[in-house]
Amino acid sequence: MEPIRPGPSSPAAEPGEADLGALLTLVAGGDQAAFETVYDRVAPPVFGVIRRVLKDSAQAEEVAQEALLEVWRTAGRFDPARGSGMTWVLTIAHRRAVDRVRSETASAQREARAATADVAAGDEVAETVAASLEAERVRRCLDGLTDLQRESITLAYYSGYSYPQVASSLGVALGTIKTRIRDGLKRLRDCLGVSW
Amino acid sequence: MKIPGISLLRRPHVLAGAYVLDALDGAELTRFERHLRTCRTCPDEVRGFAATATELGLAAAATPPPSLKAAVLGAVGALSSARDVDAAIAAVLSAADARIVSAATTTGGTATVVASHSGRTVVFTSTGLPVLPPTSVYELWFIGSGGARPAGLLPPAPPGAAGATPGTTAPLLASGLASGDAVGITVEPAGGTQSPTTTPIVVLAL
Repeated sequence: MEPIRPGPSSPAAEPGEADLGALLTLVAGGDQAAFETVYDRVAPPVFGVIRRVLKDSAQAEEVAQEALLEVWRTAGRFDPARGSGMTWVLTIAHRRAVDRVRSETASAQREARAATADVAAGDEVAETVAASLEAERVRRCLDGLTDLQRESITLAYYSGYSYPQVASSLGVALGTIKTRIRDGLKRLRDCLGVSW
Repeated sequence: MKIPGISLLRRPHVLAGAYVLDALDGAELTRFERHLRTCRTCPDEVRGFAATATELGLAAAATPPPSLKAAVLGAVGALSSARDVDAAIAAVLSAADARIVSAATTTGGTATVVASHSGRTVVFTSTGLPVLPPTSVYELWFIGSGGARPAGLLPPAPPGAAGATPGTTAPLLASGLASGDAVGITVEPAGGTQSPTTTPIVVLAL
């Protein structure tokens, strides 16, 4: 890949974020104690993202385990120049959840569950206070998007839809979805004041 | 913009958002990743979007069940000790004084030992040993002037291998090699014994 230019606003790293990157370097060297600290830091968002996509706690636990073991095995590939430690970890977690949800059996099971009840909806009590504050901030910025931007992004990220699935689910042309996802992410990025 | 094919052709980076949200599959994913290698503006945009997706992820945080931590840390511990054993095996195999000895056993198959006297360690492996019933096990011994000292049990054959021609056993690492020791194998009751109860099927002088 091309050398990457520094982002427009240089990262005023979030508290603890620098530590996570340093911890991942220790994990790459086989440090189990460092891994336990990483676990405590990342397990709630890893589990939360996966459960949101899979809509099933038992299956989410299984996939979260795979994702966290991938973090242990591949920590040497984490490159701080490409993004934060949390971004690296959550990229692994989301990809794992999406892979699972797009496998045929999983989607069949998921449809069967969706037909009876929305499991995740009644299961949100477990969220931590800090996560709720973060959730509130993100929700407010999502509210600032157009309906199509918001629905495209949430179906893709939180439901693990491919963009053609998003397009057919919303009854909108493929090309429109591509641009809505991109434009929506730009607005969301600016609203959240994300640095990278 | 109305015609997806054209917009993709002219502005492939329009897919950066879908890419970051894992909403691309198959050929389209491959094509975008190829584009990413030469696109000047995409990597920066992808990084910004990835950081934004991270915020979406953090907003979904939920307390995982305690069983997850036990399972993950347990697996990491197991992977870690396997890695330590692998490293120790590699150290023996690459030791400057590594010595390799191989011989046929009296019951069939071949036993091989790589020994490093400086590391006081051997790595044992075998091919074609007859599969034992579950009530028996192959036990490795260091055999010196003072008698035989237990050096470990060979991993059992995988289920369903009974009677069939077995393959190569996983390398067994054994420490405590003394000067003048030979290495031998006996068949013992499952669980092994502290001293041999049968005649060795092979003795390898080092």
